[in-house]
Amino acid sequence: MKKMQFGVMLRGVFPQGDDMRIRFEELMEQARLMEKLGYDSLTKGSHFSTYPMQEMVQIPFLSRVMAECPSLRLNAGIVLLALHKPLEVAENFATMDLMSNGKMIFGCALGYRDVEFKGFGIERKGAVRRFEENLEAIKRLWTGGPVTMKGSHFELDEARISVPLVQQPHPPIWMGANADKAVERAARLGDCWYLNPHQRLDTFQRQIEIYKRTLDACGKPFPKELPMRREVFCAPTHEEAVRIAGPFLKSMYEAYEEWGQDKVMAEGDNDISMRYEELAKDRFIVGSPDEVAEEMLRYHKLLGVNHIIMSVQGTGLPQSQVLETFELMAKEVFPKVQQGM
Amino acid sequence: MADMQFGLMTRAQFPAEDDMQVRFRELMEQARLADKLGYASITNGMHYSSAPFQDFQQLPFLSRVMAEAPNLRLNFGIILLSLHKPLDIAESLATVDVMSGGRVIFGAALGYREVEFLAFGTTAKEKVKRFEENLIAIKRLWTEDVVNMKGSHFELKDASAATKPIQKPHPPIWIGANADPAIKRAARMGDCWYVNPHNRTDTIIRQTEVYKRALDEAGKPFPKEFPGRREVFVASSREEAVRLCKPFLAKKYKAYHEWGQDKVMPEGDNDLGQDFDELVRDRFFVGSPDEVAQQILDFNKATGINHLIMSMQWPGMPQSLVLDTITMMAEEVFPRVRKG
Repeated sequence: MKKMQFGVMLRGVFPQGDDMRIRFEELMEQARLMEKLGYDSLTKGSHFSTYPMQEMVQIPFLSRVMAECPSLRLNAGIVLLALHKPLEVAENFATMDLMSNGKMIFGCALGYRDVEFKGFGIERKGAVRRFEENLEAIKRLWTGGPVTMKGSHFELDEARISVPLVQQPHPPIWMGANADKAVERAARLGDCWYLNPHQRLDTFQRQIEIYKRTLDACGKPFPKELPMRREVFCAPTHEEAVRIAGPFLKSMYEAYEEWGQDKVMAEGDNDISMRYEELAKDRFIVGSPDEVAEEMLRYHKLLGVNHIIMSVQGTGLPQSQVLETFELMAKEVFPKVQQGM
Repeated sequence: MADMQFGLMTRAQFPAEDDMQVRFRELMEQARLADKLGYASITNGMHYSSAPFQDFQQLPFLSRVMAEAPNLRLNFGIILLSLHKPLDIAESLATVDVMSGGRVIFGAALGYREVEFLAFGTTAKEKVKRFEENLIAIKRLWTEDVVNMKGSHFELKDASAATKPIQKPHPPIWIGANADPAIKRAARMGDCWYVNPHNRTDTIIRQTEVYKRALDEAGKPFPKEFPGRREVFVASSREEAVRLCKPFLAKKYKAYHEWGQDKVMPEGDNDLGQDFDELVRDRFFVGSPDEVAQQILDFNKATGINHLIMSMQWPGMPQSLVLDTITMMAEEVFPRVRKG
C-alpha cells in the first residue's frame, strides 16, 4: 500500500437549472482523469431531497462510474445507514463489490436531516438503534448465511445475500462521526473512523485520543488505514487558490448550516457561520502546491491520517478548474507528500 | 408488425457454485451483443435473498450495464414497490434516467415472497396500500418541485427529488400483474400493463379483455406500448430448441413453483408444477425461427403486445448457447416478425 492514498469526493451537487446530463458527463471526465493520473479512490456521498441543489444518487452513480475508472477504489462515503434496510444495503454492496472486482468501501453514518428521516418513515430518536442493528445485520449477511435476526424495523428469516463478496471478510467499514459519542461508536463498530470534513484539526487532535482510548478498551489495534475528508483546492499561488475556491466553499457551508450540520458537530467546534478566513483555518486545505502538501503532512503527523479524500468541486466550480487542480495535485502535491512521509 | 420492439431480460439466476465474476463478464458480453444487434431494451428483475440461486441486484446492475449498451432502454422490470420508500426509488431512477440519457422504464409490482416482506419490515397484508401510495408519491416527486404527502410508512414534508428524470413527464410506468384485480390496478395506475411470463397465452388473451374494460372505465386509451415477458428460445428446429433449453428452463419453473409464484396467479392457470411439455405448449416461445416468429405474430395479433421482453437464459445454461440464441433471434426471427 502507498504511504498516503489520495481520493476525490465527487460531490455531484449542482444548482437548480444546471443541465444534469452535461454535469454527469463532466463527472465521468473527472473520473477518467483520476484513473489516468493514478488517484487511489473515488467517493460519492448520499443525501436525499436536496432542493434547491440537484444531486445524483450514490449507488447508481458509483455503479456507473466504475466503468470509467477500473483501478480506483469506490467509496460510498457515506451511506445514511439508519434510513435503510440491511438486506438491501448488504445485497447492493455485494453486487457492486463483485462488479468492481473488490473495490468497494462501505462508509456509513447516522444522518441528521429531518426531511430524510421522515421520507424514510423513521424518527430521529430511533436512528442510533437502527444504525447499530443495521450494521450488525449487514456484517452477518456479508460473512455468513443464512441469517436469522429480528431488528426493530426488519426481520431476517434465513436471509442471505445473493452474490458473494470479493473482499473477504467484507469491504472495509468506514464510520463517519462528528460528535465524541459517535467517535466512540466508530471505534467500537467500524474498521476505522472516517474523519469528517467539518471539524477543525485541533478538534480532531482531541477526538483522536478518545478514539484511541476506545480502541484500547475494545482490544482493537489502531487501524492500518485512517481516512479523512477535507475540502481541498490547489492553484499555483495561495492568493489564486483562495480567490477561486473561497466563495464556493463559503456558500456551501452556509447550506450545511441551513441543513443543521452544525447541530451534530463536536462541542466547542460547532459554529460554521464565520467569514471564510476563519472558517478555512485548520479546516480547509487550500493554497499553493507546497502549502497543500505541508498541510496534508501535518494531518498525517498529528493524527495518523493516510488516506485523504478531497472535495475539490464544491458547488459551482467550473469543470476546467476542477480538471486543472486534479492535474496540479497529482503532479506537484502527491510526490511531495509521499516524500515527506 | 414493423414496430415490434425486442428486449433482452437478463434474469439469469445462477447456481450456487457458479463464479459470479465470470457470469458478470458474460452478462456484459450479452448486453454488448444485444446493443449491436438492434435489441430495444435490457431488463433486470428484483429479488432479495434469492438462494439457492445467485443473482445481481437490479439498481447497481442496470447502472453498470448502460456503459456497455448505450442504445438499450433500461427496464427495471420489476421493482417490488411495496418494499421500498418512494423518495429512494424516485431519486434513484431519476439518476439512472439522467445518466442514460432518458432510457429508464419503471416496472413495478407488488411482490409475494415472505422473506422479502419480513426483511423490509412490512407484511403481505400491507402490500397493496404501500404499492399504491408509493406510486402516487413517486409520480408527484418526479413532476412537482416540492411535495407534501403523508403515507402509511413515510412522510414527505417539503420533499423534492434531488434529480428529475430526463423523460417528461416521467419514465414510462409499466405495472406487472398476474391476477385480475392487479390487472385492473395496472389499468388505473400505470402507463401500461406489463404482461408477466408465467400465465398461459389463453389466460393473457382473456385478461387483455379485463384490461381493456378497466381502461375504458378509467377513460384511458389503449397504450401505444404494450409490453409482455415470455420465455424464448430458438434453434434450427423445434426438437433441437427443446432439447437445448429444457434442462435449464424446467429447473427455473420448479423454483418458481417452490417460491409460491403460482399462488398469486389466476385460478385455472395457477399450476407451474406441471410437465415441461405442457409448460412449453402454453407459455413459452420455443422452436425454429419460423415457428417462434409465427408464435410472436399470433401473440401480437391476439393481445396487441408490441414490446416483447425475452428471457433466454435459465440457471445453468452456458454462455455460448445464450449468445447463439440472442444472435439467431436478431438475425432470423426479428426480420420475419417485422415483415409479418
